Amino acid sequence: MRTSEILVDHFSVALGESTFTVDDAARAGKTVSSPATLKESGFRLHHVCGAGTTSYDLAYRAVNEIRGALGDIGAVVYATCIPANGNVGEEKKFRDTGDVKHLMNFPASRLQSAFAMERAVVIGLNQQACTGMLGSLRLARMMLTEEPEVGRVLCLTADRFPEGALYEQSYNLVSDGAAACVVSRGPGGFRLLACHGITNGALAVASDDEVVGSYFSYTYRVVQETLAKASLAIGEIDWIVPQNTNIKAWQILARLLKFDFARVAMPTLGDVGHMISGDNIANLKRLMEEKKIRPGERVLLVTAGYGLNWQCAILESAAENG
Amino acid sequence: MNAESKTVLITGGDGYLGSSLAASYLESTDASLILWLRAGGAEEFENKKSALQRRFAGHASRLSYAAGDLLDDEPFRALDPRGIGGIIHAAAVTRFNVDETTARAVNLEGACKLFRFATGCPSLEAFGLLSTVYASGLAPGAIAEAPLDDGHGFSNFYEWSKWASEAALLKHFGDLPWRIFRVATIIADDERGTVRQQNAFHNTLKLLYYGLLSVMPGLPETPLYLLSGEFVSRAIFALMRRPSNRVIYHVCHKREEALPLRDLVDIAFEVFSQSEDFRLRRILKPLYADLGSFELLADGVEKFSGAVVSQAVASVAPFARQLFIDKDLKNTNLTAALGRYPDPELRRLAAETCRRLVESRWKPHGHDAR
Ligand SMILES: NC(=O)c1ccc[n+]([C@@H]2O[C@H](COP(=O)([O-])OP(=O)(O)OC[C@H]3O[C@@H](n4cnc5c(N)ncnc54)[C@H](OP(=O)(O)O)[C@@H]3O)[C@@H](O)[C@H]2O)c1
Repeated sequence: MRTSEILVDHFSVALGESTFTVDDAARAGKTVSSPATLKESGFRLHHVCGAGTTSYDLAYRAVNEIRGALGDIGAVVYATCIPANGNVGEEKKFRDTGDVKHLMNFPASRLQSAFAMERAVVIGLNQQACTGMLGSLRLARMMLTEEPEVGRVLCLTADRFPEGALYEQSYNLVSDGAAACVVSRGPGGFRLLACHGITNGALAVASDDEVVGSYFSYTYRVVQETLAKASLAIGEIDWIVPQNTNIKAWQILARLLKFDFARVAMPTLGDVGHMISGDNIANLKRLMEEKKIRPGERVLLVTAGYGLNWQCAILESAAENG
Repeated sequence: MNAESKTVLITGGDGYLGSSLAASYLESTDASLILWLRAGGAEEFENKKSALQRRFAGHASRLSYAAGDLLDDEPFRALDPRGIGGIIHAAAVTRFNVDETTARAVNLEGACKLFRFATGCPSLEAFGLLSTVYASGLAPGAIAEAPLDDGHGFSNFYEWSKWASEAALLKHFGDLPWRIFRVATIIADDERGTVRQQNAFHNTLKLLYYGLLSVMPGLPETPLYLLSGEFVSRAIFALMRRPSNRVIYHVCHKREEALPLRDLVDIAFEVFSQSEDFRLRRILKPLYADLGSFELLADGVEKFSGAVVSQAVASVAPFARQLFIDKDLKNTNLTAALGRYPDPELRRLAAETCRRLVESRWKPHGHDAR
């Protein structure tokens, strides 16, 4: 292992505790597209939090799963897609009292305390939508590169949709969920070879049509630019692990990228759905559980989200994984 | 046709080219014209007629109008064949997504009805069939100004029907004093880029401008044969008045003058970028997709996009295959007849057209008769 290497490891996922089929979701009025369309896109199930479950509860469960591997965490990057999930205080109390502290009850601080990560500084990342998890990897990498006293960074994403929300966004069936991983100087896990992102703020309030209209060209661009950062060609990538989205969109993108579609992996598309910004982690974790990734193989993670944001990271499975 | 005392019949007389050709005859000859218009009933006919009367005010004494539909059994029965010295067939369904039945009924069988009528015109000196360079279908390479076969297939039923009407004319009505004009894609009325009638070309530019088409079918180097309507109507007007019959003309530029698809996209983005609205949105140039990728998109797009993107892709799909075909259109007959035609300056034409489209946000500039 080279000293400058940054590695990603200890992946975990927690999902909303109630599971529904596409048909259930449609019956409950939670979707826009027809059940047939969503099924054709590859969606089967989605997961929703119970009334009393917060996004923090999801975050706690995800981190608890890897608590034994946390070690000496120097920073927590806590990403949320829905900005409201960055506060666990009761908005009603603010309205009753006018005291804004009820709007600043931060889940990242709670988590730091709950898992006794006493040396950890906390960073909330809440304006990168579905790309927040990849954004947190990038921040973690910067910190580990720049700050010798930070040895391990907990990256985390946690979201639940508010009561009354539709569970379909941009033609994807959404699940409440959290995902976590640890970024460190190793050993073990995946080398983080490159991170990259593009934001097009002018499309911040894009219509669904504009989102789709820009999807192919910007996803293509973020992938190409990330490959360039890593001095790699697409032929040197073994897996593409995207967010859970319509499978056909990736059939097309794979052709545009000149990448074998058989190695575009969304193994959790059907049973997890679009878990907001945790899809890449859920898919990577599943691939590892199924022992699909061999040592030395390179995995490209890519996600698009509101903002509009596109983010991408390239990982390489360290020999120790084998 | 030089016997200008005789009458010229123009079908599709209120269509884009039919009405432009009518204007040429009115401005440059003394010929009388019959503008034959598609009309479902008296009211539609009156409306179309009065729009043309306004447009051609000052020429009323030389104009007469007739109504019909190429779907009728005998659409030209009401016309007196005796004084007709020239016929220009400009009526057609020109949508690329026309279904097979309509294309066959209007563009092939309808044309045959006119060919048959023409055989009964004793003074007929010239019959002009407006066709398209895409009557050559998916044939790549050199395309001569000669009869075509259908061996390479077609990208849509519009192309097929135009080929079939040419073939029917040559096979069954070869004795007519025919001339066939295979016209390339008209993108603007004139070099100033004014656009009176929009087609698939303009619609595609609109989708690019609004960021709705990030995947473009085609090869960047495919040559596009683009023209102004002014060039086309001047050329056809001149060629109709020549004595020689039974000639096929490619009304288009040579391959080396054509504009590669990549250059058109580059020009469009350069012009679009002058608009702050476009620049701010940072729309990327489209990715060139192979046909398989584009067909996947066309096939599945409604599953992961809204109506606007679905319609956008669907509107490009009927001509997508042409954007992969490198045609080398020969225009020997055209150049021999016209001499040197005006410099193509296609880049300027494309740029001006884009500029006008952005200015008008794709609202057509209008004569009221179209
Ligand atoms: N413009 C170009 O870029 C271009 C390029 C290559 C070839 N061409 C050829 O040039 C010819 C004229 O094209 P254009 O651009 O002038 O098209 P256009 O503006 O669409 O005109 C077509 C005319 O045909 C009429 N028509 C349609 N269906 C009819 C029917 N069933 N019976 C009688 N008339 C009918 C239309 O009447 P309604 O509008 O009332 O339906 C219209 O007047 C066509 O043969 C076309 O294939 C044009």
